[in-house]
Amino acid sequence: MSALLRAEGIGKAYGRTPALVDADLTVRAGEVVAVMGPSGSGKSTLLHCLAGIVRPDTGTVTYDGRDLTTMSDAARSALRRGDFGFVFQFGQLVPELTCVENVALPLRLGGERRRAAERRAHEWLERLEAADAAGRRPGEVSGGQAQRVAVARALVTAPRVVFADEPTGALDSLNGERVMRLLGEAARDTGAAVVLVTHEPRVAAYSDREVVVRDGRIRDLMGAP
Amino acid sequence: MIRDLLLGARFAVTGGRPGWARTVLTALGVGFGVTLLLVAASVPSILEGRDTRHQARDLTSGESGAPRSDRSFLYADASTLFHDRPVRGLLLRPDGAHAPAPPGVAALPGPGRMVVSPALDRLLASPEGALLKERLPYGIAGRIGDAGLVGPAELVYYAHRAALTDATADGRGAGFGHNVGVDRPSSAFLLLLIVVACVVLLLPVLVFVATAARFGGEQRDRRLAALRLVGADIAMTRRIAAGEALAGALLGLLAGTGLFALARRFAGRVTVWDVNAFPADVVPVPALAALVAVVVPLCAVVVTLAALRAVVIEPLGVARHTASRPRRVWWRLLLVAAGLALLPVGGPVALAETTWEMAPVAGGALLVLTGVTTLLPWLIETVVRRLRGGPVPWQLAVRRLQLSSGTAARAVGGIVVAAAGAIALQMLFGAVQSDFMRPTNMDSARAQLSMRLDRGQPDAPREVVRELSAARGVTGAAATLEASVRRPGPPRAGEDFAPTTSLTVADCPSLRELGRLPSCRDGDVFIARSHGGDGPDDAYLARTARPGALVDLRDEGEPPLLWRVPADARTVEGRPDPMGWTAFGILATPAAIDAGRLGAPALTAWARLDPAVPDAEEHARNAAARISPTMRVDTVRNMERDERFTSVGRGVFAAATLTMALVAVSLLVSMVEQLRDRRRLLSTLVAFGTRRSTLAWSVLWQTAVPVALGMVLAVAGGLGLGALLLALIGKQVADWWVFWPVAGVGAGLVAAVTLLSLPPLWRLMRPDGLRTE
Repeated sequence: MSALLRAEGIGKAYGRTPALVDADLTVRAGEVVAVMGPSGSGKSTLLHCLAGIVRPDTGTVTYDGRDLTTMSDAARSALRRGDFGFVFQFGQLVPELTCVENVALPLRLGGERRRAAERRAHEWLERLEAADAAGRRPGEVSGGQAQRVAVARALVTAPRVVFADEPTGALDSLNGERVMRLLGEAARDTGAAVVLVTHEPRVAAYSDREVVVRDGRIRDLMGAP
Repeated sequence: MIRDLLLGARFAVTGGRPGWARTVLTALGVGFGVTLLLVAASVPSILEGRDTRHQARDLTSGESGAPRSDRSFLYADASTLFHDRPVRGLLLRPDGAHAPAPPGVAALPGPGRMVVSPALDRLLASPEGALLKERLPYGIAGRIGDAGLVGPAELVYYAHRAALTDATADGRGAGFGHNVGVDRPSSAFLLLLIVVACVVLLLPVLVFVATAARFGGEQRDRRLAALRLVGADIAMTRRIAAGEALAGALLGLLAGTGLFALARRFAGRVTVWDVNAFPADVVPVPALAALVAVVVPLCAVVVTLAALRAVVIEPLGVARHTASRPRRVWWRLLLVAAGLALLPVGGPVALAETTWEMAPVAGGALLVLTGVTTLLPWLIETVVRRLRGGPVPWQLAVRRLQLSSGTAARAVGGIVVAAAGAIALQMLFGAVQSDFMRPTNMDSARAQLSMRLDRGQPDAPREVVRELSAARGVTGAAATLEASVRRPGPPRAGEDFAPTTSLTVADCPSLRELGRLPSCRDGDVFIARSHGGDGPDDAYLARTARPGALVDLRDEGEPPLLWRVPADARTVEGRPDPMGWTAFGILATPAAIDAGRLGAPALTAWARLDPAVPDAEEHARNAAARISPTMRVDTVRNMERDERFTSVGRGVFAAATLTMALVAVSLLVSMVEQLRDRRRLLSTLVAFGTRRSTLAWSVLWQTAVPVALGMVLAVAGGLGLGALLLALIGKQVADWWVFWPVAGVGAGLVAAVTLLSLPPLWRLMRPDGLRTE
């Protein structure tokens, strides 16, 4: 399988502190890659660079043959709206919108009409076993439900890559496993690749491949390039 | 209890960067409010200082003038206008070596020299003052000190003019300074205006202080929840919150005092609507300053405790009541109703009255405006609850307001009070404007400047016409000499004194300004009749001014100097001169009478200016000053506004400008604070590709919706209050559309706040917000 997303020799520093040093990583279509490492090792920075949120100081990130590091901010934003999905540790749902509106938000940002967007959002909420949260605001649902809503939001645009940054970090083990199972199933069904940042081996077990980041350097445990 | 308060105070100043940021924000917010309150508390001192110094430099001469001595001096007013700014000038000539100097002047300047105020000194030294320098041909001997000026920007000079004589001076003085009491607005209407203005302008400041006291409230609630987790009970958390608010307010008081101290140093450099003050005058009245020191911390604590009533702080987090308990409207309406009921309690206010019961109107206006402000949170909540659909930015904004509209309502509350009050004040101004505008009967189409000199030389009219006509931008000039003449001989039976009339000598073009002359050539004489009006009736006039009659050119008691009115003098209709006075009496051309025979004739002149020539008025005034520095020059105006009305109006709008600026700051701070609270969420939205414009529009709607609702409320409240106040003074509403400018200011505020919110928004949209480690 050819590489969908490739980072080559990327480096990033915050002030004088290096977060990533000469990092290489390849993600293939439909592959689930777990990025592991201790706190402060540079995992999230790697994810942000891969997703085009942060521009690396050195090296290149290519997605589907296109160099993200030379793209304009607007082009990277458009890519994130259409091709990428995101799940964060605390869900980061918009608190004033209902859950279904949160899920529909990426579609609406892409220009889809409200009714159509919310219909698709409902379908994804059902699929993620969170249909009963649809009309409620994030503050009115449980943590596990909120995280499933966040997963639905990440998948609703049928992205080719889902970036998940500690998606179960704020959940108990039962809810965490449920979220990971649903995320994994949905990603495989849609053929989306998943870049999963975690420090929990239990969560990493859902991946096809694991890489470890330590002091900003990447080590691929499976030996894959 | 003290321990809890101190613990709260410690939280205000510790807690790392976010804690500090919140405290600094609160302190600055409260500080701005305190600064304005201290400025307001200084207004009495500023006015008193100005009045005291004004009186101290008034001339002491008595009704008949001071007797001549080595301490006396001759004086003549030589004030002028320069680019519409008054320049106060006094010409002096000491009678002896011990003539006193005016306040602020160490010693009288020598002949041909003058002492000037610093502002005038700067103006004369600048290129802008070149024309004025031409008018004041005296060497500068020194500067007038603060004691001789009502304000630092005042233009004043005292010149030593050796040519001043008893005949050309206004009088003889022996000193400076008198005390006639302070001139305060004596109209009940002006008092009403001032009272309403005070309520309108100070209430938003208190609203602002209350808003500032709640900056960072959500962060504080989370901290209190953490304290509950380690064992603090509800009462303790309230005391801790009170301590924190108190510390913030006290820091705000300190910041405000500091800002005030800083601002007062620059008071002299700032002129708002022609009003400025010496820093030394900007001192708060102690009682008012003490009130500020008590009210502000109290207000902060009360507001904080009231805010805590809306949330339940539990060990595991904070829950809000708002969703389950909608705001009640009844008590808000009750406040408005109570205000409306209180307003007319004192009875109607007559414009002519000088005393009037202020308390009911002040209290009523306060209650109405407070009630209208408290209606805003209810209105926003009620309206936004019904809003649905719309594009993403609109949806984000509306949903945000649906979830929590309190912050926005609090920030906009200041606008509602200020705008409602401004509308009510504008209605009052508009309706009574005509009462304070007097038609002057002047005709500015015929002349734009009028000049007068009490003692004119026989050839002065010709000289004046020549001098004025040569001035740049003067397109026409006329001048006359006018003296009083009387019937010769003693009073007859039934008369207390011999009848008099006026004798005016001028060339034909000038005489045409005074009478409707069928024809005129040098040597002609006319009898102008005014049929009563400004002058005597025709019968009285005929006792002196009739063809062939003898008139005495000298005053009673002086040796008579007779002149006969030519028998062929024609009777004509008198015509109002450009200043509006209808001429009457004898009009003579120069060849008909030797003007040198007239006793103490007054010189009057008019000038027509070319509006296309820049500074034509200044050139004409310079020409007048060359003829005589004491020549009084007035602008011919068709309407004249009561000066007290103008100054109260100026004060109100100056303060309204400051209040609006404060409200804008309040809105901006609230918006930035809200954005900071949502930092991570904003970064997330950016992560999945949200456009900047989407969030910018969302910020705009989030500001615009509450402001629009606030303006609706302000317009309704303002029009209602204005109509009621007008009813109190028995006036009709002149214009129901006065709210447009205020609504425009509201729209401007929304635009300004949105624009100023964008840089922090862009900054907070950076992906750094996603970093958790």
